[in-house]
Amino acid sequence: MKKKSLNSVELLDYQPNRYPFLMIDYVTKIIPGKKAIGYKNFTNNEWFFPIHFPGHPNVPGALQLEALAQMLTVAITTLPGNKGKVTHAISHIVKFKREVLPGEKFDIETEVLSWKRGICKGTGKGIVSGQIACEAEMIITIPEILDQYIPKK
Amino acid sequence: MGNLDKYSKIFMKSFSVEKTKLKKLKYQSVPQWDSVGHMSMVGALEDAFKITLEMDDIIDFSSFEKGKKILKKYKIKI
Repeated sequence: MKKKSLNSVELLDYQPNRYPFLMIDYVTKIIPGKKAIGYKNFTNNEWFFPIHFPGHPNVPGALQLEALAQMLTVAITTLPGNKGKVTHAISHIVKFKREVLPGEKFDIETEVLSWKRGICKGTGKGIVSGQIACEAEMIITIPEILDQYIPKK
Repeated sequence: MGNLDKYSKIFMKSFSVEKTKLKKLKYQSVPQWDSVGHMSMVGALEDAFKITLEMDDIIDFSSFEKGKKILKKYKIKI
C-alpha cells in the first residue's frame, strides 16, 4: 500500500467494522506493518451517550479500547495481501486514565511490536487534548492466516 | 543449559505444564496449546535456538516428541 492516509470512505476497505461500531473517523498516517495514527470525533450525536450515562455522558471504556484495536488492525490490513481480511482480538490489557466526553476529539496512536504468521502484538494510546485517556497492549489475529500454520488433527 | 532443558522449559512455560507431563504433550491436549499458544511456542523456540521454522514444519509440530525430530532438521539435537 502506497497511500499514507485514509479518509472515512477509503478506510472501509481496510477496516471491516461499520456504523455504529466503526470507531475511527480518519487515519492520518500509516506505515503498514509498523503504525497507524488517526482520530475519532465523539460528537453529541453518538448512539451511546444517552444511555452511558443519563446526566453524565462519557465514552464507554470498551469502545475506547475498540478504537485502539480497530486502528491497530489498519496497521496490519494495509500490508500487501491483507486488504479486506477480518481480524479477531486475542487479548487486550488496558488502562483508563481520563473520561472522554461529548464533543472531544479522540486521537488514536497504535504501533505494531510484532507481526508474524497471522498474529500481531501491538500497543495503542487514546489521547484527548494532549492527555492520555487510555493505553493498551493488544494481541490481534487474522484467523485466515493463523489457521494455515496450526497442526491438523 | 543443555538443549533438552532449554526445549523443555519453553513447553513448560508456554503451556503451564509440569516436566512429568511433557512426554505425552500434544497439540490441544491442554487448553493452553491452542492455535495462539502454538505460535507463541514456535516463536519462543525460534528465538531460543536462533532458527526459522518452515511452514510445513510448524504444521507438523504436533507434539513435544515430534518437535524433537523436527528440530533435528535444523541441526538442533535435543
